[in-house]
Amino acid sequence: MFRAIVDNIKGLWSLIVGLSITGRFFFSPVKTVHYPRQVVDPESLASYRGPLELVPADDVGGSKCVSCQMCVRACPGNCLTVIKGKEGKAPETYLYDFTLCCLCAACVESCPTSAIRFSHNVYLTARTREELHMDLLADLKARAAKASQ
Amino acid sequence: MNNLNFINPFSVREDPGSSVGDLYTQNFSRHAKTGTVILNLGPQHPSTHGVLRVIVELEGEYVIRAEPVLGYLHRMHEKMAEVKTPWQFIPNMGRVDYLHPVAWNWAQVGACERLAGLEVPERAEYLRVISCELNRIASHLMWWGAFVMDLGGVTPILYAFEEREKINDILQIITGSRLTISYFRFGGVSADIDERFVRLTREFIPYLRERLKMYKALVTDNVILRRRLEDIGPMGVDICQRYGATGPVLRAAGLPRDVRRDIPYGVYPKLDFAIPAGPSDDCFGRYLVRLFEVETSLNIVEQALNELPDGPVKMDKAPKANWKLPAGETYFAVEGARGQIGVHLVSDGGKTPYRLKLRAPSFCNLSLFAEAAKGVLLADAIAILGSLDLVIPEVDR
Ligand code: SF4
Ligand code: SF4
Repeated sequence: MFRAIVDNIKGLWSLIVGLSITGRFFFSPVKTVHYPRQVVDPESLASYRGPLELVPADDVGGSKCVSCQMCVRACPGNCLTVIKGKEGKAPETYLYDFTLCCLCAACVESCPTSAIRFSHNVYLTARTREELHMDLLADLKARAAKASQ
Repeated sequence: MNNLNFINPFSVREDPGSSVGDLYTQNFSRHAKTGTVILNLGPQHPSTHGVLRVIVELEGEYVIRAEPVLGYLHRMHEKMAEVKTPWQFIPNMGRVDYLHPVAWNWAQVGACERLAGLEVPERAEYLRVISCELNRIASHLMWWGAFVMDLGGVTPILYAFEEREKINDILQIITGSRLTISYFRFGGVSADIDERFVRLTREFIPYLRERLKMYKALVTDNVILRRRLEDIGPMGVDICQRYGATGPVLRAAGLPRDVRRDIPYGVYPKLDFAIPAGPSDDCFGRYLVRLFEVETSLNIVEQALNELPDGPVKMDKAPKANWKLPAGETYFAVEGARGQIGVHLVSDGGKTPYRLKLRAPSFCNLSLFAEAAKGVLLADAIAILGSLDLVIPEVDR
């Protein structure tokens, strides 16, 4: 009998302790980042694996790729299509299907010339599947054009 | 009522073995007693994490029989291992157990390394321990929040997520991902830690220790939680061993079995950590064991950071994506957040392994649920299910 009363009082006290904790957190500052009004700081995205991009070799949208097909063969998801151009070793087409990509880095680590890398784009959105079938050469040119402006 | 292909969960069936419901329900209800209710929990049910379905037979509020139905998340991981090169299979492991992907990484990579006899640099071994233990903490925190949410307390999971996000931030620095991590490589790891990683981890360790005190005051000491968990779902050593349960479930039953200690791998033998056993084999015991393991993991991370040697993080001439395994057979086990993760690898020397068998701890832990849930209240059955810490993709693989 006496034990039961003590237990109940202890139990009620534990509820008050719990409520005081949640109450304290209720009035503490917000912890989340309110996108799009706020964004996370770029430092914490430095190693984030976003969709692939080609590494620029020069300022006019050339790539370091030598069309050796190592990345294509390494990829577990068959995301990449690299077709060698008519002259030289530079690729004519470099297609990347982001819908199949598991961001495993097999391609990045097997490339002999370090021609591809992960972008840090966390804000990518798409309305259709086709938007995620990316042409990385076109993307590289667009980036070069934007940078030269 | 014949030829209906839906089941009204609240209908009391007059005739046991009627053809109401799908194949599983029909089969299950063939042995039902008259006057009981057959209820489907899941596959989409907030209290069963992921798509697990449990058919229960209820008499009043008491479960008299329960049967888990698996396979909703079966993704043929073992078959995929046979059609991909070992390297290409690494990202799969993160999808098998999304809460503790690093341990699965380790199991697969470790099995291949053991078969091929690869040497891993010392620094990489320490980085493996650090990432694996940080990930284990994240997994336990997620379980803690989800478990308390199963029992009706919605707030704690939000606090747990704050810590979990911090760990994700830390792991993202070296792995690049936040959930389905593929960090390990044959003969090392994919990236070295930087100054920011060390700083954030060192800040995180005392921070989480403080938070654990808050967890105790908020949840562990809470009278409602204790009444819901104490003496509920006792699972002794006997039932655990019959079903092959491992991890915190077995340790709560009082047997201090831990792969990190019993079949040492990596640099765990050099580290000093405690393996908890007990204090009780009920749901509350399993709860306490997991919280204790969070502290253990924090200690391990701290030690490993202090003793971290210099050197490369990957062996010279590390295998590439087209690497072939030598012919042979091996088994490698690691301790995941839920128990023993085992990889049985058979290779005939070809491009892809001949067979890769994954031993998932959740699968064994789930299989004792049917026996443990007999005769308990439905709400307690949910508590038992939650206390097993199931990850459904791991059950189905
Ligand atoms: S990250 Fe992996 S899945 Fe994606 S393109 Fe590269 S190799 Fe393929
Ligand atoms: S591995 Fe590198 S160089 Fe070879 S095709 Fe791929 S991106 Fe180009």
